[in-house]
Amino acid sequence: MRKLVMLLGGVATAVIAVAAVIGRPTAATAQAKADPNAAVKLAAADTANLKGPRQPVFFRHDIHASQYKIQCQYCHYSVAVASEPGLPSTQTCMGCHLVIGGSDESAKAEIKKVRDSWQKKEPIQWVRIHYLAKHAHFPHQRHIKAMGPNACATCHGDVSRMVQVYKVNNIQNMGWCISCHLERKVTRDCSACHY
Amino acid sequence: MAENTTMTTGTGLDRRKFLTVLGATGAGAALTGCSTDRVAKLIPYGTQTEDQVPGIPTWYASTCTECSAGCGLHVKTREGRAIKLEGNPDHPVNAGKLCHRGQAGLQGLYNPARIKGPMKKSGAGFAEITWDEGIKLLADQVKAAGGAFAVVSGGPRGTFEQLLRAFAQQAGGSVTKYEPFDHEPVRLAHQAVFGRDEVPVVDFAKANYILSFGADFLETWGSPLEQQRGFAASHGFDDAAKGMAKHVYVGPRLSLTAANADEWLSTTPGAEAAVALAVARHVAEAKGADAGIRSALATYTAEWAAKESGLTAKQVDEVAEGFAKAKAPVAVAGGIGAQYANAVELCSAVAVLNAVAGAIGTTVRFGQDAVQGDGAAAILALGAKMASGGVKVALVHEANPVYALPKSTGFAAAFAKVPFKVYTGQFMDETAAACDLLLPNHHALERWDDVEPRAGVQGLLQPVMEPVFKTRHTGDVLLAAGKAAGYALPDAADFHAHLEKTWKARLGGGDPEGAWREALAKGGRYAAAPASPALRANPAAIKYTAPAKAAEGEYVLLATPSSLLHDGRGTNKPWLLENPDPVTKMTWRPAIEVHPDTAKLFDARNGEIIRVETAAGAIEAPVVLYPGIAPGVLSMPLGWGHTAYGEFAKDRGANATDVLAVAKDAKFVAYAGQSVKVIKTRGYQKLARTEGTPRQLGRHIAEAMPAAHAAKGLSVKESYLELGGHTHDINPEWEDKAIEGWYETQKEMRVYGEGNNYAGEHPAWGMAVDLSKCTGCSSCVTACYAENNLPWVGEEQVLRGREMSWMRIERYWEGGEGGKALEARFVPVMCQHCENAPCEPVCPVYAAYHTTDGLNGQVYNRCVGTRYCSNNCPYKVRYFNWRAYNRWAWPEPMQLQLNPEVTVRGRGVMEKCTFCIQRIRQAQHDARLEDRKLKDGDVVTACAQACPADAIVFGDMNDPESRVRKIKATNARRYHILEEINVKPAVTYLAKVVNVDPAHLAEGGHA
Repeated sequence: MRKLVMLLGGVATAVIAVAAVIGRPTAATAQAKADPNAAVKLAAADTANLKGPRQPVFFRHDIHASQYKIQCQYCHYSVAVASEPGLPSTQTCMGCHLVIGGSDESAKAEIKKVRDSWQKKEPIQWVRIHYLAKHAHFPHQRHIKAMGPNACATCHGDVSRMVQVYKVNNIQNMGWCISCHLERKVTRDCSACHY
Repeated sequence: MAENTTMTTGTGLDRRKFLTVLGATGAGAALTGCSTDRVAKLIPYGTQTEDQVPGIPTWYASTCTECSAGCGLHVKTREGRAIKLEGNPDHPVNAGKLCHRGQAGLQGLYNPARIKGPMKKSGAGFAEITWDEGIKLLADQVKAAGGAFAVVSGGPRGTFEQLLRAFAQQAGGSVTKYEPFDHEPVRLAHQAVFGRDEVPVVDFAKANYILSFGADFLETWGSPLEQQRGFAASHGFDDAAKGMAKHVYVGPRLSLTAANADEWLSTTPGAEAAVALAVARHVAEAKGADAGIRSALATYTAEWAAKESGLTAKQVDEVAEGFAKAKAPVAVAGGIGAQYANAVELCSAVAVLNAVAGAIGTTVRFGQDAVQGDGAAAILALGAKMASGGVKVALVHEANPVYALPKSTGFAAAFAKVPFKVYTGQFMDETAAACDLLLPNHHALERWDDVEPRAGVQGLLQPVMEPVFKTRHTGDVLLAAGKAAGYALPDAADFHAHLEKTWKARLGGGDPEGAWREALAKGGRYAAAPASPALRANPAAIKYTAPAKAAEGEYVLLATPSSLLHDGRGTNKPWLLENPDPVTKMTWRPAIEVHPDTAKLFDARNGEIIRVETAAGAIEAPVVLYPGIAPGVLSMPLGWGHTAYGEFAKDRGANATDVLAVAKDAKFVAYAGQSVKVIKTRGYQKLARTEGTPRQLGRHIAEAMPAAHAAKGLSVKESYLELGGHTHDINPEWEDKAIEGWYETQKEMRVYGEGNNYAGEHPAWGMAVDLSKCTGCSSCVTACYAENNLPWVGEEQVLRGREMSWMRIERYWEGGEGGKALEARFVPVMCQHCENAPCEPVCPVYAAYHTTDGLNGQVYNRCVGTRYCSNNCPYKVRYFNWRAYNRWAWPEPMQLQLNPEVTVRGRGVMEKCTFCIQRIRQAQHDARLEDRKLKDGDVVTACAQACPADAIVFGDMNDPESRVRKIKATNARRYHILEEINVKPAVTYLAKVVNVDPAHLAEGGHA
């Protein structure tokens, strides 16, 4: 029974997520006619209603990936070679933020957290958004190999447009995996993922 | 240490732990199996390490320090923690293989019984201090000792040892090297016979006649892993052209080495030397040795030896003739289990035998010895000095003499008299508990070091991860303490710098930095073996003293080394405790091996506790009836009965050395030949044994054939026919008819989705196990535990038959009755991955199913635990997770060892061998990224990787070029276990080959 409830919950999330994806671009385009990639300017008060968990540093994927067009793999460096996508070390952040201090007060405050982390040698503890059960193995590298380096959005949604990252697809539900594998006529052998 | 057995979850780690698991962005330390517990935080590195990529293992070359053999290691690390140890293929000693003791080194690294930081005696216990305080205390005390300073070191020979000696010398003291199994009789004998105080290197690979006098060269004698490799090379059967060596074992106990012999000659304990002398006499006559030797041997006739040893003159003559005729004979002696009072005479006789047979310089090579210990005499002399108050400060480094030296030597009492004792080992063992200051060393996997197991072979150790605890390299401690005391020690910031400097100077050349890095990558420096010098045997060394007979109504005790625990240093590692003893199949506890006929004399049955008494002391242990021991002889494994050494070693039987009466000036500890009184007590201890049914009962599980038949290329069935009378029909004709076409129909009926194609693009994984090579050493079992996150279940659960060994070694007895010789057969049994698997159709939830690549899959998250599959499995290879072993089989910090690629199963799940599917999938990922197909050898299962004998071959049966396909298609010795039930296993066995006259072969297996 518990499983059934969880499943229903999952479906509900997925429906909301899909609605969000459909709803978003219109708002974004209306706001940023001049530069389609420019990130939305936000006041601190605007952030309370954002979807997804609040991270220790208000890292904006939309600024980094969309406005400045940094490739996903610049930070998620091992995604094409390993099962784990890799998380940037503080050192990677400092590569730019040694120089870039932020354009406004709120950005400055966030970048200061990164610099403090670097100075204190204490890594930033990000809140995990996407996870799989431990009995499922997801080799990122195989999926990048099959679908190309820009395949990230297939599961993670268009993160480059997200002010704050949230879960778009209910990826820990096996149905999500299977529907894609069915469509693409690739293995559905249980032991491909479960071992 | 009870507080360490409680578990903390992923979020309860302190900062230090965080550092060690830094970058666990993926599955992390999966503590729970079938659950959706999430790792809530993603913690990246602060600074990107150049050699760590999450999800990809990083391998470091290092050297094993679990015994003095010094095998090379490749350490697999994931996200900054060591998760598996494998052999270094470049290393001359082990060539990529590793024994169970070496692999279990990981459980030493993560052992809860490690000393977690510097401590000082405080009342009955210890109080934590800082490193600065500890070093100051050490420096002050050593200085104040004014030369009355002694060091006991069990560490290997190498740069650290030199530093230790320099420190001791500066302090006015000296270093005594202590290694419990030090082969002193071998040294003493070679000193007497050849004038060389040496342990030679024995090349079993070159030998074609191996004669062992109680030397357990596959377990504890010499360099076991190297010898296993050599033995498998010469004694394994490949083809008629190569043939196979003959192995004869002389001694009263059927050890694992004896169980691998073609003939076992059970002698009166201590009379092995008589046989050796008689064989030497025959060989000397046959080969025309010089007159001095011949006349010294003249009186040792076969008849005399027969009378002394209890064998027949014919048996002695047959061995002598075989040895004399052999092209490359080798004889070995000096095993710990055969270390009788006359052990030096036995080793001398064998040295003379090797000399007259021409083995010196060919199969027995001198000139490569590197002394590892100073012998029992040195440590006992130090004990005497301690007892007389001549030592004010003692430092014990990586040794446990308080436990290992028999009580009768009085060492423990003498050691207690030393006013200030410092311990620089890793574990809270008996010696540490007796000390005043504990300055714990890093584990071998956490430190810089080097070892020299033999001349010309220098192995390097490098830290593969951050230290687990607040330990410190003893080299650094000595350098700091030396500085504080004003000693002239090497000028280096720390031991790492000192080691690097020493090595760079040693390597020389134009590019020392490059050479140093190359040596690190290769795991050390390996020079070619020097030529063995020509040696002449001294006839004066030939002597024989008849062994003292057991007193009236008493028995002879052999205290035998355990192939798993060695001298007792393995007793804190559950992988070794739960891995059954290869011959008795005992787990978790020692038992006294008694011949069933002997047991009748004191009316003891399996598990009944007997008291063994001598003037030196008494021990109590349960009896295990063991047909592989001479009547009138008792045998008890060493390494048990620790009084301190952590939770795992606690309350585990008795220490066999307690009853040994050893003189205070002994040159070696006579572990064998003690006369003991036996008193049956009223106690009973159910034996946690995994033996099952000791006989095959006509089931054809472990097949064997004589070498003559194997050479002719006969199949198992043809061999049976040749041996006379018994036809071995797999199925009667009517039965074959009844199932005709059934299997094919079954296969067609199975639909698992598109592309279910065995013959086409998909592989069909299969395995072949060559029983002519398998020695039953159980290295594969530990490899499986490490690779597949197998939980140990503990004695109480083993008693219920719930051990989780996906891979097990079955041992069956043949013969031993009606005048037939006793023969042991070993069969590694893992999931047979039947094509026609009985477990699959009975699973109501499709958790057991057949994968498209021919595996018998087991989906843990589907399994609901009906256990139907296990009930329907004819091989008993499915293991049910009865208890939540995942909650307690990895007490903190042991969970850091878990392989993140394998699900940790929870309670209520059926589990079994998967053919290391995680390795298959990884190889497939790698091949896909490189746009190529898998090739033979890309996938090596953990068991096949570890097997010292290379008995296990794994591969794709659809690949016409694969080794496994060739073996399955062409090898005449192939058979399947329980072939008649038509399950079409993917595991093929090759029958064992016994190098005896077909007429001698035990009949039992040929019913």
